[in-house]
Amino acid sequence: MNTILHEARLLWRSPVSVAALVALFLLSSLAVVLGLREVAAQHATLSRLAVLQAQDLQAQARTRLARQDAGTVAYYTFHGTWDPPSTAAFTALGLRDAAPGVLRVRALALQAQLHEGETFNPELVLAGRFDYAFVLVYLAPLFLIALLHDVVSGERRAGRLATLMSLPGGGRRLWMRRAGLRAALVFLALVLPVLAGAVVSGMPMAAVATVLLATAASVVFWGGLSLAIGSARGSAAVHATALMGTWAVLTLLLPTLANAALSRGVPVHQGVALMLAQRQAVHGAWDLPPGDTMDRFFRTHPEWRGTAPLPEGFHWKWYFAFQQLGDEHVADRVAAYRAGMATRQRWTERLGWLLPGVGVQAVLHRQAGTDLTAQLAYQDAVTAYHSELRRFFYPYLFEEVRFGEADFAAQPRFTPPMAAAAMPWASLAALGLIAAVAAGLGARAAGRVSVRDGT
Amino acid sequence: MSPVRRIAFEEWRLMRRDRVAMGGLVLLVLLTVAAAFTAWDQRQAAAAARALHQSQVDQEFDTQPDRHPHRMVHYGHFVFRAPGALAAFDPGVDAFTGHTLFLEGHRQNSANFGDVRQSSLLLRFGQLTPAFVLQVLAPLLLIFVGHAAVARERESGTLRVLLAQGVRPAQLVAGKALALGGVAVLVLAPAVIALAAIAWTTPEQGGPAAVLALAHAAWLAIWVVGITAASTWLPRGRDVLLVLLAAWTAWVVVVPRLGPELALARTALPTRFETDIAIARDLAAIGDSHNPDDPYFAGFRRQVLARYGVARIEDLPVNYKGLVGMEGERLTSELFARYATEAFERQERQLAQVDQFAWLSPMVALRRLSMAVAGTDLWQYRRFVEQAERHRYALVQHLNRLQAEQLTFRDDKSSRDSRIASTHWHGAADFHFEPDPSMRGAASAAGTLLLWLVALSAVLIVASNRLGKETR
Repeated sequence: MNTILHEARLLWRSPVSVAALVALFLLSSLAVVLGLREVAAQHATLSRLAVLQAQDLQAQARTRLARQDAGTVAYYTFHGTWDPPSTAAFTALGLRDAAPGVLRVRALALQAQLHEGETFNPELVLAGRFDYAFVLVYLAPLFLIALLHDVVSGERRAGRLATLMSLPGGGRRLWMRRAGLRAALVFLALVLPVLAGAVVSGMPMAAVATVLLATAASVVFWGGLSLAIGSARGSAAVHATALMGTWAVLTLLLPTLANAALSRGVPVHQGVALMLAQRQAVHGAWDLPPGDTMDRFFRTHPEWRGTAPLPEGFHWKWYFAFQQLGDEHVADRVAAYRAGMATRQRWTERLGWLLPGVGVQAVLHRQAGTDLTAQLAYQDAVTAYHSELRRFFYPYLFEEVRFGEADFAAQPRFTPPMAAAAMPWASLAALGLIAAVAAGLGARAAGRVSVRDGT
Repeated sequence: MSPVRRIAFEEWRLMRRDRVAMGGLVLLVLLTVAAAFTAWDQRQAAAAARALHQSQVDQEFDTQPDRHPHRMVHYGHFVFRAPGALAAFDPGVDAFTGHTLFLEGHRQNSANFGDVRQSSLLLRFGQLTPAFVLQVLAPLLLIFVGHAAVARERESGTLRVLLAQGVRPAQLVAGKALALGGVAVLVLAPAVIALAAIAWTTPEQGGPAAVLALAHAAWLAIWVVGITAASTWLPRGRDVLLVLLAAWTAWVVVVPRLGPELALARTALPTRFETDIAIARDLAAIGDSHNPDDPYFAGFRRQVLARYGVARIEDLPVNYKGLVGMEGERLTSELFARYATEAFERQERQLAQVDQFAWLSPMVALRRLSMAVAGTDLWQYRRFVEQAERHRYALVQHLNRLQAEQLTFRDDKSSRDSRIASTHWHGAADFHFEPDPSMRGAASAAGTLLLWLVALSAVLIVASNRLGKETR
């Protein structure tokens, strides 16, 4: 304990190190504040929209109920769906800046509505968010490198290395203690703001634990690596260069290369294809004999087969039948499209087992429910709700039931997807493994420091 | 041989012997070549896919059967945004905006199927493009290679010797800067060759390609001057390195993210949800074309009857339903245009706030310039969306006019049974995007870059004067 206090006093006398720790603490705090602010803004938007949607529904009820006709109501009424940010979303805002968090749908063909985008400024999104994930993946390693790269070479330069090595408790234990203390302080500078943010947002313990573990793994990895390279021969400048190069390769270069490979290896063109195919199916139906359309519809929906035959002229049930057939026509393409995206997500997670930056991003965004998987889950929730809407309207349409005010009020409401994200155990375990290897390398290298090396 | 060149040659000789420096240089050059090929390949693939889709939907539109024109209004049309040739150098916002726009009557849809919603988070680490390599990685290499240029001489005591031998401090510093500038030229070369190839195949992009090359040359020059200045000014090599790495972190990693973040916090955008509802409300306030007693449309009917000098809509020489369709579309499109313009102007205000951060990091100015010149910035995207909207309006009004002129009021019973010949829509939907060749906004960003270069050159001059004084 005394030795640790002694090390802390030494560190305290180094103004650059103290300034670096304070700066990291401030950056982490800024990221947490900005993240909390953004999540609060998203919640504010959602509650503003809920009011607006309720008013819009009332206005619709006034104008659309005049004919007591379910088809008119189903055609004109938009229903709100929303995807509230989780309590952990502030740590990693992820895709929520580009993917819609709210979507209005009506009982028409779904695929034409599901992929609608949100209004956002693409140049701002391109830059990326300044959230905790960013601080942890991009900035924290640089601070660790700055604090640790000259733990050994600094002493050598100062001419104290021989003395330190000959003291009892010198050598490996000394370097491990010194590096460990600095890494622990970096860890604290990172997580204290997040813990405060977690209290403010009411993050569940499991999510807090994930963030702490991911942070610890990242700090241990970069700490171990810094010690390993910093204990090797050469000057502090060489160590800093090597570490910074490693960081640039692991954090900037390899993920970027992987992205290029992934977008080539797993192309996702089916999105456009399914839109085009669906449009042909839906609009082509106007030119087909309505009886044929109904026969095809009854094949997948036999429960309506016994209802009254189509009259001359227009009937809503025919209209909604071909809308649904349009969706069914592209079901295979929808599945292929989603499979493509799931494959990209899977490969990214696998890449995270090798690249700690990608791994940390994957873990934090999974925990925060802001990744591609979460976006697909929201789309699933919208799809399920849309099916419910259809099921609600079909009895009115096929059995010719008059649609009144009570029916309008009884229309199904959307329930957002369950935010409960599973703990990303596999990714966390892989992160832990990488961190342990780096720590082992650091410890081994620290034990091999000898006075004679150097420049 | 002048002392400046002699010093530069000596520096290059040293660099050649340094395996790490040479390795880094070779790696970076290979990376630029790989990036140029990858980005070019991706652009070609995207351009081919979008051209294929475009011709497919154009053909599908033309081959639609005989129909009621209003059915074609709802059938609508797709337009695809073809990436410009220079998107291979800097794809800008291409992955973040959609490139597919569905145009239909009474509605303004969003562009969708942008890559960002179809990809895992890897896209957020950046895309492998020549712009990424030059903007992000090249400065790092220059720092590693150049930080010790002057500081090394000082620390090893050779500085005094050199100056005592009559080398003027300015010559020494100029020689070191020249040596580092040579490295920058090597780093830049593959990207310039790629740009030249683009200019060769698409000659109208020659001017912008040259501007891109110059802008990135200015960016590397900023680093060459800055690195030499730091190496001249600071007493120890390790201090130079740490200061430069901190500057790189701040310029390349932190400020370009912080600026947008603060702009977002200050200026929020309305959601589509709100805009759609607001447009619907505004429309409801104007009138309801289905309501025979609606004051706005009653007035419209009076005007039409007066214009044709008849008393009843049945006596009009044109189909009144078509005219109502045209009037309704005119009203909705005015609202769409108003709300869209408002949203785009708000986004441009956000970017103006981001531009202020160019005083903290020249990277902010460079990125804006690079995207503007490559034709991949918000402004070009806005041009695409606005041109597509004008196209949508023209197409829908063309179809409404067909309803007014080709169908009589009496025959226009239902949109399912009353049809006109399909020849009417042949070629009606073809769309050609005209990008803005003006490189809007590039001049001010270039000015900011030049100011940075001038300011750092001033620092370098002061530093070299100090060098003379301290050894005297």
